[in-house]
Amino acid sequence: MKTEQRQAIEELVYRGCLALDRGDYKAFLALCTPDFRYTVAAYSPEIKREMVWLDQDCKGMETLFTNLPRHNSDHSPLTRHATVYTVDADGGQAKVVSALQVFRTQLDGGATELFAVGHFHDTVVLDGAAPKLARRLVRLETRQLGFGHHVPF
Amino acid sequence: MSKTDAQWNAAPNFPTSHYVDSRLYTDQEIFNEEKEKLFRPAWIIACHESELAAAYDYRLFSHPAGVPLIIMRGEDAKVRAFYNICPHRGNTLLYDPSGNAKRVTCIFHQWSFDAHGNCVEITREEQGYQNRFCKKDAGLREVKCEVAYGGFVWVNLLDDCVPLREFIGGALDILEPFMREPMEVFHYHKAHIHTNFKLWHDTNSEFYHDYMHYFNRITGMLQPGYFERKYTPFPNGHASVGSMQIQYDKYEGSKERAVGWPGLARGGWYMVDLFPAMTYNLRTSVIRIDTSIPLGPNDVVIEFRGLGLKSDTAEERAQRIFDHNMIWGPFGRNLHEDLLGVTGQGRALRRGTGSRWILQGREENNTIHDEIGMRHYYAEWSKRMGRPAYDPYREGRPEPVRAAA
Repeated sequence: MKTEQRQAIEELVYRGCLALDRGDYKAFLALCTPDFRYTVAAYSPEIKREMVWLDQDCKGMETLFTNLPRHNSDHSPLTRHATVYTVDADGGQAKVVSALQVFRTQLDGGATELFAVGHFHDTVVLDGAAPKLARRLVRLETRQLGFGHHVPF
Repeated sequence: MSKTDAQWNAAPNFPTSHYVDSRLYTDQEIFNEEKEKLFRPAWIIACHESELAAAYDYRLFSHPAGVPLIIMRGEDAKVRAFYNICPHRGNTLLYDPSGNAKRVTCIFHQWSFDAHGNCVEITREEQGYQNRFCKKDAGLREVKCEVAYGGFVWVNLLDDCVPLREFIGGALDILEPFMREPMEVFHYHKAHIHTNFKLWHDTNSEFYHDYMHYFNRITGMLQPGYFERKYTPFPNGHASVGSMQIQYDKYEGSKERAVGWPGLARGGWYMVDLFPAMTYNLRTSVIRIDTSIPLGPNDVVIEFRGLGLKSDTAEERAQRIFDHNMIWGPFGRNLHEDLLGVTGQGRALRRGTGSRWILQGREENNTIHDEIGMRHYYAEWSKRMGRPAYDPYREGRPEPVRAAA
């Protein structure tokens, strides 16, 4: 893989984080293919099962975002910190694994706490002018999220 | 009109059954008593039988009264419960939240126990104890344990407790027709919330707060039948809520639930709140179970379980999980709102904030926005605690020394 291509893939992951951090959901979805699928999953050692906590296609994500103002949500901003670990290109796509840390900052006073850790397992399509996210699996290690959140990671 | 301090602190102009003193949610003395008087004698859900499918499977449970328990299935398929405490030097016996162990062996001195609670190994027994102490003297402390009401594992810490069926008092009869097929847990998560455990149970015991949930307003409150849903109080502080047809397709991004529940009418939804802190919630395609583990007056861990049918196809299970997550997962539309609500209560009700009364005065012929569910709960609370909920320090009880806020 060329260095420029790897850089473009890394930038895609980071731009996705920045878009979600600032609540610019249109910008995030613009980084995704029309058949994008987003899943949050975690393994429960308590019940010894893989769990899916959120599973949406592109339209479902768009609806989730547009419905947000109708709901009562915690408005503390989230800051996503991703580090791209591996990029494995295979033909017209690449499998990308990134470490993920999510921090939450209180509106009143600005204290920041670690909210969640996990990994992005992304499938990136490389056949266009710019790489696009076709699939994102967020595998969480953290399973206690307090009162939770309406905005996915 | 806003209030002066005297007006704010004056008892509400309701019958004393219709409001609660906010110190119920803040005082350590009351909290300590609740663990002994409410939780210790109660039957409590520890887990579901599907979490212990095979012989020697075990599951750990932090009993709300403070006792760490091992729930274990024996080679005879019977599920038993024991203190997770070694009778030798008091060490924790099992550390992982679940597993499979033919022998429970303490890591400290390698004493071992079988799935019946018998001690089967004391290392260098004769050399150390000669004939003064032996394995038969070293059994685990077993507590009452039954599998019932949908395959849930119920435990009771008292040897002379009332039978489980007497404790439930018919409250789960409304759900029994829907719990005849074996079920399976597919979702489990904990939420550590800074609030009082009763405030979470209150939220599950009143639907007036549907105003907080856009999803419930659109799919329920604005639909026919909503205001006919009724509460039914049962002995021992339990209460149930009748069903209606939820119009899931009214919420953008949702649709009529493709998978139902055997015997349940289309879009049906029943809830049963069990004293002191458990809830069964059957919502069309999924059963959710809430169990609270109070840690302090303003500190609770809530366990959330989602269940489908053991016979589910992969497609049916995926649909139930989707339905569950839409409103009840950690990223769900309703659970986040409910937990935000009780977190806000916990923040406003901390000692020293000036909070004084919690109103439960709505009367609407026991229908959905009536606050009978909470009133019924606090009548039982008052009886078991020996304190009126509207004035917990009445009759010469000294008030606790107040620390600075």
